[in-house]
Amino acid sequence: MRRVAAILLAGGVGTRLNILVRHRAKPAVPFGGMYRIIDFTLSNIANCGLPRVAILTQYKPLSLMDHVADGSAWDLSGRTRAVKILPPKTGEKDWDWYRGTADAVRQNLDFVTNGDYSEVLIVSGDHVYCMDYGPLIQFHRENRAHVTICMLPVPWEETDQFGIGIVDEKSRIIAWEEKPKKARSNLASMGVYVFNRDYLLRTLHETKDEDFGHHIIPKALQEARVFAYAFHGYWRGVGTIQAYWDANMDLLDPASALMPCLPNVKTNLVTENLQYDRPPSKILARAHIVNSLVSPDCLIMGRVENSVLSPGVVVEKDAFVKDSIIMHDSIIRAGAQVECCIIDKEVSIGRKAVVGVGDASVVNSAYPTHVHSGLTLIGKRAKIPTKMHVGNNCIIFSEAQEKDFHGRVLPDGQTVEK
Amino acid sequence: MKVLALILAGGRVDELDVLTFYRPKSVLPFGGVYRIIDFPMSNLMNSGIETVGILSQYRPRHLISHIANGEPWDMVGRNRFAVILPPYKGREASDWYKGTADAVCQNLDFIRMYDPDLVLIISGDHIYRMDYQELIAFHLEKKADVTIGFTRLPKEGAHRFGQAEIGGRDRRGGKVTQYLEKPRKSVLDWASLTIYLFRPSVLYEALEANAPRDSHEFGKDIVPALLANCQVYGFKHSGYWGYTRSLEEYWQTNMDLLGKYPRIDPALWRVRTNLAHRNIRDRRPAVIGPSARVEDSLFYSGCTIHGTVVRSVLFPGVTVEHGAEVKDSILFFDTVVQREARIVRAIADIEACIGPVARIGHDARSPLTVVGTRSSVPEGTVLHPGVVVHPNLDASHFTKQMYDAGEVIR
Repeated sequence: MRRVAAILLAGGVGTRLNILVRHRAKPAVPFGGMYRIIDFTLSNIANCGLPRVAILTQYKPLSLMDHVADGSAWDLSGRTRAVKILPPKTGEKDWDWYRGTADAVRQNLDFVTNGDYSEVLIVSGDHVYCMDYGPLIQFHRENRAHVTICMLPVPWEETDQFGIGIVDEKSRIIAWEEKPKKARSNLASMGVYVFNRDYLLRTLHETKDEDFGHHIIPKALQEARVFAYAFHGYWRGVGTIQAYWDANMDLLDPASALMPCLPNVKTNLVTENLQYDRPPSKILARAHIVNSLVSPDCLIMGRVENSVLSPGVVVEKDAFVKDSIIMHDSIIRAGAQVECCIIDKEVSIGRKAVVGVGDASVVNSAYPTHVHSGLTLIGKRAKIPTKMHVGNNCIIFSEAQEKDFHGRVLPDGQTVEK
Repeated sequence: MKVLALILAGGRVDELDVLTFYRPKSVLPFGGVYRIIDFPMSNLMNSGIETVGILSQYRPRHLISHIANGEPWDMVGRNRFAVILPPYKGREASDWYKGTADAVCQNLDFIRMYDPDLVLIISGDHIYRMDYQELIAFHLEKKADVTIGFTRLPKEGAHRFGQAEIGGRDRRGGKVTQYLEKPRKSVLDWASLTIYLFRPSVLYEALEANAPRDSHEFGKDIVPALLANCQVYGFKHSGYWGYTRSLEEYWQTNMDLLGKYPRIDPALWRVRTNLAHRNIRDRRPAVIGPSARVEDSLFYSGCTIHGTVVRSVLFPGVTVEHGAEVKDSILFFDTVVQREARIVRAIADIEACIGPVARIGHDARSPLTVVGTRSSVPEGTVLHPGVVVHPNLDASHFTKQMYDAGEVIR
């Protein structure tokens, strides 16, 4: 594995995650209480013994850079191990923003040519899955492939969201369809590619193609040996609000294959700038909590059901939280009711407020493609006033204050912008 | 002002029995994620004292892994350190530490090399918060040779403390006018916290004078000798002081973390621990299952709770299976309480396992039961209150189904 260079594409904007990505890149979005989405991929890389990884960033990289830090949380630091965060503008021109995934790799080829590598593993930082890349590399070498693409069988109705490969009996890919309306196969690309190093260098030099899925892979099918490696474990793209919520809720389902992954996932706990370590979580007498995932430093005085709590969450007396994701240091005041919400960090839900309760069929009017499935989003550091009623499919932008709310009721599907 | 801190962290305590078989008391787990020494270490960090020597001798392995390079308390850098000072073999004899004063005496070269303006000597086994800078300011203001930390003498167990009379009207403290080391009953008003702040020259002289004698303890030998010819001051500590010298005290001090307004508040006290020790940092969030009932308790990452937990402290990785019940208990790292077991007023050490349907303890007033590290109590076994299970025992060591109060299984 020491002959494999890893490149992690962490530049995705993830627009559909709406307010969750307003101040952070998608791979840095908190997940599962204590993690960020990128932790899954970074842990995969570290766990299978890949010594060096380049992280290509572009969009709002600050929280991502803080989180990755020197890589030591994943044991990716030392004399031969490293995490390199490569921002754009490393090319020769004055203004070389990445124009696509392949372009991002092209602009950072130094990372590949500066080491003694035989293969390059290219992975995306915005999926939730655990995978040992070792057998994939072995498969690639045994097939003397130029390119190997990790593929996963998906439900037929979802094939229009993926790159779809058609394979022969020897797993060689014979045709490729990028997000087809009507697919001939349900084998979907997971955004995990192994390239023969020399083939990758030659292709990126010879062309100006910008995207792996749209340009590089179809071209490789014409001229090179491209294989599909089938993966059968848990894998979720968390590109939409509903998919993000579903994947979090999978952590509460004993039958889901995600929970057994978690012991292999490492995160960086020390970036919060706290002067102390998070103390144990505390549940008071007469509090009630069931079927939930609870990080350290939570204080539960009320009722919590089917929810995922990040560190430092406070649920006061007589407050009720259900089917929700609550991120770091948010506080649910006494008597408040929270259902089907995704609440970002440091939010305050006022006393006796009711949030996320209403008619799920009324989609969000400002962002109907983002928020339509009955979830309400509350942005970072927003303050929901006392006794406020916020309906279903609502969006409250980060930093929203009492004065940004007009009246005591925000109807279903409405948005409070800031 | 160069202040060098020395932590006496090597001792084990007979009364804690199996809990200190394999570790000095300073690394005894405490409060759901911490070790006792985290409190003095965090006090030092928060007081801006970042040059620390830790004197250890009894089974130091866990202490060494816990302190690591001092990084958890930010004590790494060009002018910051936390180093473990184990005993070493001298040129002439095996120089095993023969007492607290001897431990410091054998490291005089270390102290002299650092050449501090003040030497702060504290114990590694107390739960408290103190800003040592206040102690230092008091010491300098009084031009003291030695300043000792005291707290008001507790009513119970007074015989275990050095006791003093403190003169003067300053509410912070004053001159020590009388000192008795561990008298039979409570005689004087103030109990020593084993916190000593020394003018270095006074420390060197006192230790050298003590060296030829047979006994080498700060409380018993050094302090009485200093009282005769030095300026010895007492500094009064008024905050919380947690004793952990007996099982009962250790249990009570843990329980002081519970409730909405706890007597010990680690966030407010800004306590840090080593999250790499026992991989605390890599553990997933706690899982509270659909049939769980958890009340008035503490727990940390890595816990899995499907049963009932009431008034208890659960360290990382504890599992409480379906139908199991844990009350008034302290369960160390990775303890497993299997289905339908019931434990009341028990302390289970690291990786202990309580078998299905086992019964431990009885009610809230009975004596504590202790299960040693990595021991497995077999299915259906009944341990009455006060039973002690030694470490590393499996089913073959349990010869009967029921053990009476006070029995020791070894």
